[in-house]
Amino acid sequence: MANGYILQMKNITKTFPGVKALSDVTLEVSEASIHAICGENGAGKSTLMKVLSGVYPYGSYDGKIIFQGKEMMFRNIKESERAGIVIIHQELTMIPELSVTENIFMGNEIVEKGLINWDKERKRTRELLEKVGLHINPNTIIKNLGVGQQQLVEIAKALSKNVKLLILDEPTSSLNESDSKNLLNLMLGLKKQGITCIMISHKLNEIAAVSDYVTVIRDGQTVDGYAVEAGKVDENKIIKAMVGREIENRYPEHTPKIGEVVLEVSDWNVEDAKVPGKMLCKNSRFNVRAGEIVGFAGLMGAGRTELMRSLFGKTIGIFRGGQIKIHGKNVKIDSVQDAIKNKIAYVPEDRKVLGLNLLDSIRKTTVSANLDAIKTRGLLDFDKERAVAEKYRVSLKTKCSNVGVGVNTLSGGNQQKVVLSKWMFTEPDILILDEPTRGIDVGAKYEIYKLIHELADQGKAIILVSSELPELLGMADRIYTIFEGEITGELPAKDASQESLMKKMTVTA
Amino acid sequence: MKSKKVLSVLMTAVLAVSMLAGCGGGRGTGDAAPTADTAATVETAAAAGAENPAPAQDSSAGGGVVGVALPWLGTQNWAEAEVMFKEQLEAAGYEAIIQAADQKVPQQQQQIESMIENGAKVIVVGPVDGSQLGSVLEKAKDAGVYVIGYDRLLENTTGVDGIVQFGSIQTGELQAQALLQGLKELKGDAPYNIELFGGGPADPNAPNFFTGAMSVLQPLIDDGTLVVVSGQTDFTQCATVDWDNSKAQSRMDALLAGNYSDIEIDGVLSPNDGIARAIITSCENSGQPIPVVSGLDAENESVEWVWSGRQYSTVAKPTNALVAETVSIIDSLLAGNGMPETDVTANNGVIDVPVYELPPVVVTKENAKEVFADDPDRMALLKD
Amino acid sequence: MKYIKKVLGEDLRQYTMVVALIALILIFNIASGGKMITSSNFQNLISGNAYVLVLALGMLMVIVIGQIDLSVGSVAGFAVMVMAITARQFNLPWYIAILVALAIGVIAGAWQGFFLSRLGIPGFITTLGGMMIFRGGVIWISNSISVPVPSELKWFGAGYLPEWGPAFTGMNNSTLLLGIIAIAVYVALQLRKFSHSGDVTGIKEEFWPYAVRIGLVTVIIGYVTWLFGSGRPGTSFPIPGLILVLLIILYHLITERTSFGRHVYAVGGNKSAAELSGVNVKRTYFLTMLNMSILAAVAGILFVGRSTAAGPADGTSWEMDAIASVFIGGAAVSGGVGTVIATMVGGLVMAVLNNGLMLMGVGADKTQVIKGFVLLAAVAFDVYNKKNRR
Repeated sequence: MANGYILQMKNITKTFPGVKALSDVTLEVSEASIHAICGENGAGKSTLMKVLSGVYPYGSYDGKIIFQGKEMMFRNIKESERAGIVIIHQELTMIPELSVTENIFMGNEIVEKGLINWDKERKRTRELLEKVGLHINPNTIIKNLGVGQQQLVEIAKALSKNVKLLILDEPTSSLNESDSKNLLNLMLGLKKQGITCIMISHKLNEIAAVSDYVTVIRDGQTVDGYAVEAGKVDENKIIKAMVGREIENRYPEHTPKIGEVVLEVSDWNVEDAKVPGKMLCKNSRFNVRAGEIVGFAGLMGAGRTELMRSLFGKTIGIFRGGQIKIHGKNVKIDSVQDAIKNKIAYVPEDRKVLGLNLLDSIRKTTVSANLDAIKTRGLLDFDKERAVAEKYRVSLKTKCSNVGVGVNTLSGGNQQKVVLSKWMFTEPDILILDEPTRGIDVGAKYEIYKLIHELADQGKAIILVSSELPELLGMADRIYTIFEGEITGELPAKDASQESLMKKMTVTA
Repeated sequence: MKSKKVLSVLMTAVLAVSMLAGCGGGRGTGDAAPTADTAATVETAAAAGAENPAPAQDSSAGGGVVGVALPWLGTQNWAEAEVMFKEQLEAAGYEAIIQAADQKVPQQQQQIESMIENGAKVIVVGPVDGSQLGSVLEKAKDAGVYVIGYDRLLENTTGVDGIVQFGSIQTGELQAQALLQGLKELKGDAPYNIELFGGGPADPNAPNFFTGAMSVLQPLIDDGTLVVVSGQTDFTQCATVDWDNSKAQSRMDALLAGNYSDIEIDGVLSPNDGIARAIITSCENSGQPIPVVSGLDAENESVEWVWSGRQYSTVAKPTNALVAETVSIIDSLLAGNGMPETDVTANNGVIDVPVYELPPVVVTKENAKEVFADDPDRMALLKD
Repeated sequence: MKYIKKVLGEDLRQYTMVVALIALILIFNIASGGKMITSSNFQNLISGNAYVLVLALGMLMVIVIGQIDLSVGSVAGFAVMVMAITARQFNLPWYIAILVALAIGVIAGAWQGFFLSRLGIPGFITTLGGMMIFRGGVIWISNSISVPVPSELKWFGAGYLPEWGPAFTGMNNSTLLLGIIAIAVYVALQLRKFSHSGDVTGIKEEFWPYAVRIGLVTVIIGYVTWLFGSGRPGTSFPIPGLILVLLIILYHLITERTSFGRHVYAVGGNKSAAELSGVNVKRTYFLTMLNMSILAAVAGILFVGRSTAAGPADGTSWEMDAIASVFIGGAAVSGGVGTVIATMVGGLVMAVLNNGLMLMGVGADKTQVIKGFVLLAAVAFDVYNKKNRR
């Protein structure tokens, strides 16, 4: 450890049948630092971390791992954890029905005379929670915690294992702004305690905020690496390294052609089905015009998704009154079928859980919301189906060998394109996009942005829900802010700034 | 690599099938199918003789093939029947195919079909449900196979040539007489408190047992000598579904709890040994003195119980005799002499079927040694 | 290799069960001294198992949608028992009797569909309750005594197609006609597919794989036709088999070519996503359960047609055979995966195993054990294959 590196991964090469996932990757991480790794989806970041943590055992890759001055040959995760390397995955691995204490000590219980010593476990849990800045009862059931808190519990669990190197895979991807900030601060705190963190992230602003060093991986190779000066980083330089080309503008140029009001929602009220009395939407009132992109800003849990899903056939909460006018006419929308009939489309925020049947092929998914359109004499016509899928594959530039392959084989960006094509095929007038670029790498994001612009130019009314304020500012023509189920503000994008939005997202107007 | 292997298997299989296209089948009427391929024709002609179930023309395999389809091997008499059929049929020079159907009707149907396929000339059927083999037995008849019902009536079909069984009405009468005899011997003077049990309703014998028994008991119930305390005297009330001992035991428990809290039970009419033991166990568990209980089948355990005085009587239907009778009918059939003469017939819902009845024997402690004198296995149970 | 793929399609693994089935038939044929591949045995095989395969058709959809139906055997038994009793009581003609059985199927299915779709009670529990209710019902209304059914129904369970026309064909001419129709339809479909092959991609496919396919299928159908048609005069491809084939075609179309079929797969694959794509999830659940019970009634009719009487134990553990067929056919326990054709192959594997072991004189006890192992092996093989594909 004389050289100051806690971890050196030297010349790592990992091949899968037919694919070289990593070739000659070198990663050096200094002790007590925050090291960011970025790269497009599929660049090899996760593979590298799996090599490090022993998911791919020693011998299944070439190269050397030197941790704290010693060469490591992990055969499984248990061994890497024993050495002090813990990964916190993007998808949380807590058991929702068990308490915080039980989760933290899962598989690692404090056992005395064959029985678990709950008092000791709880005491230790409280200490750990203190360390991560979480002030909750150790007996709390995990499912009652927010995602941000769950993430902190995960970190507390890692601390319970005497972690020396903590790897966080896209830690803030499902967190809201304040939880993200909280987490980043915690990482800085851990750094002070001498714990090294590796952070895999797409979010360049976060990387800039906390990391000491950035390594960029592209196509399984280390492309670039440089130290970051006290919270400053050249974002464009990283993007260029990630995608291999300069993206001059992260949001494409667009001149909106705004027409008549298409959608008008007034006095929309929805009550939470689980918590009586709690309103998910309070007297919401907004409108969207043809060709217009309307952004919805709000913190996680503010009620953006709830508002959209209740508009889209009342699939959430208990409806407590409100009107929808489309093209000036009152309409009644009680089910998703009604919504589709009224030419509304909704691209949900969680692609894998709500947007796709991962068992289906691209062609089946593309037509799945509009089967009537491919029927011949009452039966589904596979020729038409293939033609439709093919058309969207070409026009959206979906990367796949053919439209018969399963959507589970696609990257996030291409999956999202398939979801979009599914909804484009219903030929909607109103397109609701809920976090359309979450978990998608920079290059694919740009393509999706262009697509959104094209759709707007076709005269569709577009609602864009996003947690990323720059995205809203870059894409939307007009932005509504939501706080605790209430629409708290409406302002043209050109007059808005991150600060002005954030103000309305956190304080009732 | 792997899919290559799979493929080669596939190709071989397809090849083999297309080669096999020459054999098997055949219309069986003698005029073999004329096809363009002469080789296939020759093979077909050969196959028609060798493989078709045409028992009349094929006598190469000794005395011929005899199929025995039994309902299951879960009780002693069926298990014994399996062994004895095998021994006696093979001793008589036949090739025996013996299969048990695990109490499942579809299984038994397919087993009988496979016996026809295997060229059986006579099929002995101890049915799971005597009324559910109709079309299969008719198929056997069409194929020229003789069908003999064993121990149970084969109903609702024309495809049956005869039934070999113990007189079932007579069995019931004997059970009732033994019950009365026991009551007089052990339980003092009338009136006697009794309960009645019937067998599995799906077995056509069960109502007959009950009817036979009631022909003896009903007059005595009417004149007050016997008192059925629960009042349950209909067969449907007393029946034991599937001859299931545990169901009988539950019913007995309920009867005792409901009717015998302050009186003693003196006797129980039981249709077979398993149910008899269930009844006795139930009485013992509820603190009742052991009642006089009838039985049937002379199962080993019950023979011991009769010998030790726990169960008053059983009725032996010596499987040996029934099998021997069946085999003698088979001998007659395969010698070309047809079904032997008999006076008794039973209507099975479609036709009158000749019935060959054997008399059952009551077994009590007194006569056990005489009855089983020729049965070393059971004699061994009668130790002092 | 490349050429074979062109004929059979890219995914050759789907043929593994077919290979296993053919291998089983050949092995049993050798082991039983040629008794397996005979007209009469294949006729038996089909008429003796048609009812299970009919059940498996419905069970496939239930399993694809992510549920299970434990009540099918009891529903089948109940439907035919009601049919038998009412037919005897009121002297109903056979076609009314069939309608009675189907009506009971509809009622039973609607009952279970109601609990699953409206009240959201899992299918396992709904149908466990149904299993007890309908089994109890059978025993109750029948007093545990078998009841004969109208004799015309025998045609459905054990009947044969009529004999007609010239004798020089050497087989049952009805069967021959069916075979010719089947080949003609297949040829027509393939030719149509070929003529449309370039429509989307613009690249016309080669003709020879079509020709090879047509040749192969012609040989297979021809052989099967001959096998079934050349039995003892008066026999043919069995009626229950014909009913089964018609149902297979119908359900193949329903699952592959209708919105309802797509919806079943969508709900089974991802219920939330299906709901947000405009699928009426409740209706799909309801119709799937309804359909299952109607098919259970059909299976019951085929069965009592063969056994000539409705018995108190009819249907006992049929659900297990149907479920086994579906899983051997490669369906996923978690739903969303499975096809009609593969399920039929799965069911036939079980049937051939049963039949072959019986021909060899293996007892029911050992047969059961072997079938259990085959189920495990088939599913394990499938899981192993899927893992390796990743």
